[in-house]
Amino acid sequence: MLYITNLYKNYGSFQAVSGLTLHIPKGDLFGFVGPNGAGKTTTIRIVCGLLKATAGSIQINGIPASDDYREIKKCIGYVPDFFGVYDNLKVKEYMEFYGSMYGMYTRDIENLSDDLLDLVNLRDKKDVYVDSLSRGMKQRLCVARALLHNPTLLILDEPSSGLDPRARVEMKELLMNLNQMGKTIIISSHILSELSEMCNSIGIMNHGRLITAGRMEDIMMQLGNGNKIHVSVKANMDVAVRTVQEFAGVQIQSVMEHELTIVCNCSDEEISGMIGQMIYNGAVLSGFNREEGNLESLFMQLTGGEENA
Amino acid sequence: MLKGNPILKKDLKVTSRSMRLSWGITAYEGIMLLILIFSLNIFENLSTSFYDAENYYSRLVTLFPILSIAQIVIVGLIIPIMTASSISGEKERQTFDIMLTTSMTPFAIIAGKLFSAVSRVLLFVLASIPLMSIAFIYGGMSWLTLFYFLIAVTLYACFAGSIGILSSTICRKSITAIILSYAINFVIYALTFIPMVVADMVTRGSSMYDFPLLLLINPVMFFEEFYTWVITGSFEDSLMNQMLNSYVGPFTGLLARGGTWMFVSGFVILGITLLFMLWSARRINPLHGRKK
Repeated sequence: MLYITNLYKNYGSFQAVSGLTLHIPKGDLFGFVGPNGAGKTTTIRIVCGLLKATAGSIQINGIPASDDYREIKKCIGYVPDFFGVYDNLKVKEYMEFYGSMYGMYTRDIENLSDDLLDLVNLRDKKDVYVDSLSRGMKQRLCVARALLHNPTLLILDEPSSGLDPRARVEMKELLMNLNQMGKTIIISSHILSELSEMCNSIGIMNHGRLITAGRMEDIMMQLGNGNKIHVSVKANMDVAVRTVQEFAGVQIQSVMEHELTIVCNCSDEEISGMIGQMIYNGAVLSGFNREEGNLESLFMQLTGGEENA
Repeated sequence: MLKGNPILKKDLKVTSRSMRLSWGITAYEGIMLLILIFSLNIFENLSTSFYDAENYYSRLVTLFPILSIAQIVIVGLIIPIMTASSISGEKERQTFDIMLTTSMTPFAIIAGKLFSAVSRVLLFVLASIPLMSIAFIYGGMSWLTLFYFLIAVTLYACFAGSIGILSSTICRKSITAIILSYAINFVIYALTFIPMVVADMVTRGSSMYDFPLLLLINPVMFFEEFYTWVITGSFEDSLMNQMLNSYVGPFTGLLARGGTWMFVSGFVILGITLLFMLWSARRINPLHGRKK
């Protein structure tokens, strides 16, 4: 879907993006995370053709950006972080305006915009002036506008900034629906909890460099943030401890009176096998649970490390 | 390119809903009416007696040039305001990035912006035709003259508008763009005479009309020939013709032939308009120009 290879963007001596290489497969909901000034927006703007890269290449749907950016633009729907409006323009006219900017016929725009306004829950607002909509509605309208030309890739730069909690939830649901419909989505956001709930892959940037990228669970696991298991042991703690020690790649983090905490890079099957072995050996377990990976702690761990480096 | 240009269509739709357009037309026609009343009043006062009727009538036939020149001056003053905020206004409204991510080419965006401003200005001019038709009562003009005037004013509006658009792509803020636009206009209208003045000073008057070719880009001299033709019916008495006949240089003989200067100047102005539009399109294209 989207291949970014060795991307650089310099502003004088300042390197905003440095050697970014990233692949986002079709159908992904990719979260772009990083502190302010990390280079996320710069990367997004380069992908959308709003900035010229100093070096590097971009390919979308097999089309290299260097060949024809007009073709690339047809594949992208862009939602910026701020929604600018024109006075005296109604919602349906707003859709018509942008549809015609993509060279679409009026009849097609009318049909499509009705469906899209339905999708973003704004059908009843189509005769309302855009500047009278709430910020959340405007942002949803912006998503509908970005989908008018049926792009394969939807790019959203901080779509939830300035939205109230209800509007954020609506936006999240909308994006998840679109992803289920097969759209590849790239979303940059500071609201990490929201990203961790909806994204299936993430990329973390800091100081213009991509620190890590990939499937969310893989990254969590790589950093030992994923498989922390708390086992509640009613009796025979020593048996439980001995059993765990027999498994390679499993570390005991803490042993308390009735709780054993272990960290491992194992699959679900291996974990259930280990638990079964503890019971088989005679340990009395009252339960166990896996601590879910946390994007906030992962983010702090990765970006904090970078700053220390 | 223009038929169905979405920016042109949207701008016209949005503008037509705004009260600003109605107030603008009212103000424009109000100014034109005042000029008409003042002109008639001055003509009346200049007539000393009943027997001065012939002179009075000869003055009245200049009513069309007076009204149309007033229109050109007003167009020249308002079009930088209309165009200089077109691109910078989109940037201030934060709608410009979305525009650039669509399939529209930067040149089509510039053309849409320019022609929406020009069409608004032409609406002002067309709305004043009933007022200008008073000049028909006194003569001195024909429908063909009016038609030529509309072509000339459209060309001029495009030229001045392209300067405004270019300024709008250079400056981030609309107000700075408007100031820059007036400054560029001043350079073109006034400073193109400077080489002639300098030559005159150096040669102590013997070479007053040197460097006339630079004036091909100056709409003032284009309209000077146009109005000489409107008033006298020929190009012979125009200041530009006198300059060309006094100066022996490249193409001057050719340009001095009846009306050639006006047509060549018209094409040069049109060429510069296109050049400014292409330059503006290049400036707004994020994938061209300077690597920032």
